[in-house]
Amino acid sequence: MSSAQILQVRGLKKYFRVISGLIPRLSGEIKAVDGVSLAIGEGEVLGLVGESGCGKSTLGKTIMRLEEPTSGEIIFNGVDVVKLKKKDLQAMRGKLQIVFQDPDSSLDPRMTVGGSIEEALIVHGVQDPAERNDRVAGLMEKVGLEAGFVDRYPHEFSGGQKQRIGIARALAMDPQLIIADEPVSALDVSVQAQILNLMMDIKDRDGLAYMFVSHDLSVVKYISDRVAVMYLGKIVELADKREFFQNPLHPYTEALLSAIASLRPASKERILLKGDVPSPLNPPAGCRFHTRCHRVMAICPHSEPEFREVAPGHYVACHLYA
Amino acid sequence: MTETRSMTRGKAGMPVYINRRLMNYYWERLKKNRLSLVGLGFIVFLALVGIFGPLFVQDPQKVDFEIKNMPPLGCSIQESVYDIKTSEFTTTLINGRADHPLGTDSKGRDMLAMLIAGSRISLLVGLLASGMAIFLGTFIGVLSAYLGGWVDNALMRFTDIMMTFPFFLLLVLIVFIFGPSLAIIVLVIGLTGWTGAARLIRSEALSLRTRDFITASKALGASDARVMFNHLIPNVISLIIVMATLSIPGVIMAEAALSFIGLGDPMSTSWGTILNTGQHSLDTAWWVAVEPGIMLFFTVLSFNFFGDGLRDAFDPKASV
Repeated sequence: MSSAQILQVRGLKKYFRVISGLIPRLSGEIKAVDGVSLAIGEGEVLGLVGESGCGKSTLGKTIMRLEEPTSGEIIFNGVDVVKLKKKDLQAMRGKLQIVFQDPDSSLDPRMTVGGSIEEALIVHGVQDPAERNDRVAGLMEKVGLEAGFVDRYPHEFSGGQKQRIGIARALAMDPQLIIADEPVSALDVSVQAQILNLMMDIKDRDGLAYMFVSHDLSVVKYISDRVAVMYLGKIVELADKREFFQNPLHPYTEALLSAIASLRPASKERILLKGDVPSPLNPPAGCRFHTRCHRVMAICPHSEPEFREVAPGHYVACHLYA
Repeated sequence: MTETRSMTRGKAGMPVYINRRLMNYYWERLKKNRLSLVGLGFIVFLALVGIFGPLFVQDPQKVDFEIKNMPPLGCSIQESVYDIKTSEFTTTLINGRADHPLGTDSKGRDMLAMLIAGSRISLLVGLLASGMAIFLGTFIGVLSAYLGGWVDNALMRFTDIMMTFPFFLLLVLIVFIFGPSLAIIVLVIGLTGWTGAARLIRSEALSLRTRDFITASKALGASDARVMFNHLIPNVISLIIVMATLSIPGVIMAEAALSFIGLGDPMSTSWGTILNTGQHSLDTAWWVAVEPGIMLFFTVLSFNFFGDGLRDAFDPKASV
């Protein structure tokens, strides 16, 4: 893809310890993120798709170190985020930001929206109140809201407007990468398009990169440069958008793509996945997808497929392409 | 827009959590509850009396045996006096007098002056002790919820231990050891009464802690102290106000009970101490015990009504 890489993730793992019993003891581990490696270039949009519970939100939060990673490396801007001390981490955070799914809970109901945006500036040491006010007003206008709204409270805004405010807050310190955790899935379809267009405009103007987490393939198709598919804590396929939608390789990707509602039905046969996603507490041995795969082979339950580059820029973890 | 801006922002451009539209909304909801308005009215009246009343009446501790056991205005009692010379009982009728409208006690102290002095003490003790208890409870509850892990465990087990202490016995013991003074009473009630508040605020803060706006604040690089003071506490403030209001009557009653059993501050006149003197003369001067009792009754009732009204007004799910 493009030249310099803004983010490189190598072998990232996040296990949640499950402690239970009258005498508390470790009874298991939820492998929410289990050895993920990916990279995002400057000004690039990486779409990350997967079913609910596959670990995509956890991956986003772990990259920001809102969750402490169990192991692995997160190189952001040449610095390993995992090794950063608390103070340096806080300084770094202005450049690596997050936009949340639920606009209702992402803004403090007791704080004016201006106050919420301004907090970023205060935390990062913008001392002059007049300068802060100017910058907050500028950010409001940047996301398409009247600067005069700064003194209103979140409950006076619509969902789409609240999401714009959330984006303005994320943009406050000129980030290089924004992790967008399903930013439009709680919005009406018409508002979704507005927010997506706003995000694209900001990206084109400021040259920042997104990691766009979603379960909606049509949204991902619209906004992404590259697409990664996640299943039970692992990335199973990663490719350029065009390649991804035209030539999906992993059976799970095939199934996902066949499920997109289309104006031309019967153009493709629908692949129906059997059953639910297995528990990440006890993932299946071998290839994690073998319990639901429509092209399962004898080797699949026994050996875990490697994540390999099968075509230029097209990575897949499946024994079919070994 | 610029007008509201100056209204809602502090000096440094920091938001100061006063949302006039929201306050109006709460006030409208509170107004629908008549009982709570009556309660609020009585509390305001009592506060005014406590602050300004002592300026207008005589010294409540002024003793005058000439006028002891004077009944309230409009009442009268019969007093029998044994005359040694004539060996006869003479019965005289004593009427209430306008210069002592609520009567006098067995030492001839003016009841009105004492009740006014008592309202000052009761409100002072109530406000200071519950203020202290709620402050401690908020601090411990928020800290416990936000930090979690072993800090949470340690603080909550400590709270459990504090809760198991029989509070009133502890109060009696400490007052007995250190001697009765208002400061000791306030300190003891404040230092032991925070446990319920701590638990309630912890549970509220626990549910707030996982909300995205807290995560967003952390993601911006805000310090833990900042998240607690700017996001967690403002969001539990309505709970704090309600709890403070509802805990005041308990404190007032505790002070009155202590004074009643003779462990109150002997230098000050509180409703409890008046009750204490009144219990010895219930058969001759019933008003000495009944009057502070009525004051306590209405004060406690008022705070409870007002607190209930506040709770409903702040709770968007409650219909008012």
